[in-house]
Amino acid sequence: MRYSYYPGCTLKTQAGASLERPALQAARALGIDLVEQEEWQCCGAVFPLATDEIAPFLAAVRSLATARDRGEKLVTLCAACHHVLKRTNHLLQVGSETRDKTNNYLQLEQPYTGEGQVIHYLELLRDELGFDRVAQKVTHPLAGRRIAPYYGCLLLRPAKIMAFDNAEDPRVMEDLLLSLGAEPVDYPYRTECCGVYLSVNNEEIAGSMVRKIVHAALKQGAEAMVNACPLCHYNLLNLQEKTPGGEPLLPVYYFTELLVTALGLPEEVGDKTR
Amino acid sequence: MVQVEMVDIYIMGKKYVVPASLTIMDALEFAGYQLKRGCGCRAGFCGACATVYRIAGDYELKVGLACGTKVEQDMYLAQIPFFPAVKQVYDLETLAPSNTAIADYYPEIYRCIGCNSCTAVCPQDLKVMQYIAYAQRGDLARCADASFDCIMCGLCASRCPAHIVQYHVAILARRLYARYLLPQAPHLKLRVEEIREGKYDAPLEALMGKDIEELKVLYNSRDIE
Amino acid sequence: MYTHQMMELIKKVEATRPRRKGVDYPRMAPQERQEVLRNFHPDFIADGFRPLKVGVNKGDKVPRELADLIEARSRIANVSLNLEDPTYDVDVLVIGGGGAGAAAALSALGKGADVLLVTKLRFGDANTMMAQGGIQAADKANDSPEIHYLDVIGGGHFTNVPSLVRALVNDAPMVIKWLEELGTFFDKDEQGNMLTAHGGGTSRKRMHAARDYTGAEIMRTLRDEAFNKGIKVIEFCAAVELLLDTEGKAAGAILFNLETEEYLVARAKTVILALGGSGRLHFQGFPTTNHYGATADGLVMGYRAGAKLAFMDTIQYHPTGAAYPPQILGLLVTEKVRGLGATPLNINGEQFVHHLETRDVESAAIIRECSERKLGIPTPTGMVGVWLDCPLIDLIHGEGTIEKQLPAMLRQFARFDVDIRKVPMLIYPALHYQNGGLMIDENGATAIENLYVAGENSGGIHGRNRLMGNSLLDILVFGRRAGWHAGEKCKEVQLKQLSLDHVDNYHRELAQNGVDTAGRVSPMLLPRYTHREALQV
Ligand SMILES: Cc1cc2nc3c(=O)[nH]c(=O)nc-3n(C[C@H](O)[C@H](O)[C@H](O)COP(=O)(O)OP(=O)(O)OC[C@H]3O[C@@H](n4cnc5c(N)ncnc54)[C@H](O)[C@@H]3O)c2cc1C
Ligand code: SF4
Ligand code: SF4
Ligand code: FES
Repeated sequence: MRYSYYPGCTLKTQAGASLERPALQAARALGIDLVEQEEWQCCGAVFPLATDEIAPFLAAVRSLATARDRGEKLVTLCAACHHVLKRTNHLLQVGSETRDKTNNYLQLEQPYTGEGQVIHYLELLRDELGFDRVAQKVTHPLAGRRIAPYYGCLLLRPAKIMAFDNAEDPRVMEDLLLSLGAEPVDYPYRTECCGVYLSVNNEEIAGSMVRKIVHAALKQGAEAMVNACPLCHYNLLNLQEKTPGGEPLLPVYYFTELLVTALGLPEEVGDKTR
Repeated sequence: MVQVEMVDIYIMGKKYVVPASLTIMDALEFAGYQLKRGCGCRAGFCGACATVYRIAGDYELKVGLACGTKVEQDMYLAQIPFFPAVKQVYDLETLAPSNTAIADYYPEIYRCIGCNSCTAVCPQDLKVMQYIAYAQRGDLARCADASFDCIMCGLCASRCPAHIVQYHVAILARRLYARYLLPQAPHLKLRVEEIREGKYDAPLEALMGKDIEELKVLYNSRDIE
Repeated sequence: MYTHQMMELIKKVEATRPRRKGVDYPRMAPQERQEVLRNFHPDFIADGFRPLKVGVNKGDKVPRELADLIEARSRIANVSLNLEDPTYDVDVLVIGGGGAGAAAALSALGKGADVLLVTKLRFGDANTMMAQGGIQAADKANDSPEIHYLDVIGGGHFTNVPSLVRALVNDAPMVIKWLEELGTFFDKDEQGNMLTAHGGGTSRKRMHAARDYTGAEIMRTLRDEAFNKGIKVIEFCAAVELLLDTEGKAAGAILFNLETEEYLVARAKTVILALGGSGRLHFQGFPTTNHYGATADGLVMGYRAGAKLAFMDTIQYHPTGAAYPPQILGLLVTEKVRGLGATPLNINGEQFVHHLETRDVESAAIIRECSERKLGIPTPTGMVGVWLDCPLIDLIHGEGTIEKQLPAMLRQFARFDVDIRKVPMLIYPALHYQNGGLMIDENGATAIENLYVAGENSGGIHGRNRLMGNSLLDILVFGRRAGWHAGEKCKEVQLKQLSLDHVDNYHRELAQNGVDTAGRVSPMLLPRYTHREALQV
């Protein structure tokens, strides 16, 4: 199984060690060939509300078109990039003015009209490989560990376009946890926004959102939280209350960290989850 | 008799008839200019001779190095004699080759809108947008490698809607990479120490004292690697 | 793009290639070397030179074109200047924005001096920027400064000034270290070992390179550093005459703003000349590899002020200037091309000289092949040249070598539709380097107190012939030494009144010796080209 892979800047600067490296390692172990695109540029990380300017879409379209030319699906890992690439792809699918303008500008050999596919790494595991296959490869099941998935909004909404999971009651991370032998914890707020876009300007509001989410999970007996988004991750870790020792009350992991642990691959990446 | 092919060109709008075989630079001189600005190495190394032009009837604005681009019929051209640029001042000794080292000095790299105008104009055919993308994500090695052939002609910066001065970003990446990420040469360090300790003082002194005949013998019998 | 006839001739090259691959052509015996030089090297064309009629070197032969500039009137003969009110007043004035000037300015600054660098074109528009091949330094285990010394002095036909050679080879590793610490991107292996190669006349592989942009990489790094250090730089500002003080010591220069055409006075306690070479004088009508500003201004100014010329009767012709296509006539084909294994071939596709003889011998052998032996390849533009079989490189070192190690060359020829991975280049010797210059000592000092010279402007280091890679080296070795020395020396200088009497005296001497300057004015500053030759078919 061969895929084009779009890492995005955050993975290259901040979330490399804990999100990307385990992801690539797990992919190798699972027999998935993820090939980083030779050239890619920053997608902007925020899907622009105004679509009358084409500039914000150019990087995304270039990556999408390159993957299409190679006949490969484009795999993303960062929730923010996934959001931008998926929505840009949709925008070019649905015959918009943006589509015409972008193609006029880029002058690609073959115009791009959204015929490529963007899938998030979680979708790759669920739909392309299958969680049952993941389960077969688990050597160190996370038995007895109570973990609360946190989705945030970027992967789920707008639901029609993202088509990632049931936006009101997503299951993908729960199912992943089950395949790894862990116990998913159900709690309110798991699809609520963590307020990351506020945290830049208004840390107080964002902080209270994070505390609300963390407390809900703790109340349901979670010992850790798992998520898939570098932005949420940052917020969840930094804005929650700390123990007297300065540790976060509730540890927060990327799903990829749990994945490598369960696959018994922790040496290379360092097992921070135990 | 064979006819020399001539073409009409327009230097800053004024018409001249020049041999078609000439480069833009030679054509300027053929037309009677004595160049001051816009001419350095005359061989594609210094980046002094950035030139913009259009061929009459064609919408596209083209660029090239005057010393490496042939004239064409109905070429309207002007040189860019100087381009104001931001060059940040830093002390390489106190920098660290971190992910954000470049962004600390040139935060505007994040304003890149991916228009690719820079790559389109680069006379060295560098993937300029891509090396800026490497700089954004702190990949010094690739930024250094991809920008290596940059002759700092300024054309990319002249077209950048995000006001980035790509070539100054690139040289910072190269210097950081070469200084901190490429390992320092071990044999060089050793030799410098030997010289500082005076290991070669006496042998060199002895060679200096030899007369030509002795030196000739040594030279003609030296072994060659 | 080659003509049909040329493509036909290339078939002979292709036919002999398998047989030639990996076979080393014998080097010339010392006797034959002398002979080919005497009979074919331009330095031995008597008509190309004439003795000077005035000045310190009166009676010495120099190229005619240079003699004409030396025996000319000063540009400021009729300019009124107020020497009492200088526009610039600094400790150290560095003239010339090439590698030597940049190294000197940084080094003088390091000594705490107030430094001003003026340069005729842009900072870095210089021969330094064009050097592709590499820079020598004996820093590998199988090499040593002594071996380097022997190569330098043998290459210079044993005429070099020994103390200058010692300084050169001794400082070489230190210079490379300095560059390395400044973040110069040298070619290295994974352990950091420098990838070094042979150059003409080297007995060890000691040529350090930065792909084929070695000079450019050094120049842009030094320039960047000069900006970081806040050195004052004035571009498009040429020096036209040195200033002395009433005691005959150097004390500044008269500058010329190329744009406003205004003359300005710069006073300085010490002055460093780093104005580079003289290729643009086109001695004996040769095409040149040099940059636009290489017009011997430093020689002319220094000589007028009383500094001595050395070895100006010997000029280096680079064996491999491009002979075709005409748009790149004279363009340097870096020696690295031969270093990597490309060999010169005649019209029959046969090699006739070892590909790594010293430059003078290699050039003379190519001229012999084309003139006496008539085995050159004619071009439609009336030139003649020999092949340089570059496709051999990829055959020897593996595909992709040319692309990786010679990107500049590949690009230069590709601009005119010649793919050097597939077809040979056509080359002929080009005027490349001024072996001599103003005489200096180990500190770059001249006989005129407070006047220093560094780089191609200076003479004595290389004797009668310079080896590739020793010039980039010398500009930094002596640029640094001159900078340090001038930066120290300025602290004790008590400037007297400024004077241009030496210029008046020089004019008088010209008259007394019956020199007809025929309206000539110097320094030249900028060449003038009209390209009328393009009207001939
Ligand atoms: C094409 C080419 C390839 C070469 N390859 C190699 C190589 O591989 N290895 C090697 O060791 N050497 C090589 N050389 C030789 C070497 O590059 C030069 O000899 C050396 O760089 C000279 O340095 P410089 O600083 O003395 O002079 P330059 O670098 O020429 O600098 C002189 C500066 O002085 C300025 N100037 C001139 N006149 C005036 C004036 N009147 N007032 C103010 N400023 C003035 C010029 O504009 C210029 O900026 C090569 C040379 C050329 C031309
Ligand atoms: S990157 Fe920019 S400055 Fe460098 S050569 Fe290309 S266009 Fe010129
Ligand atoms: S021109 Fe500027 S904005 Fe456009 S791609 Fe290049 S760096 Fe980015
Ligand atoms: S003159 Fe130097 S690049 Fe054209």
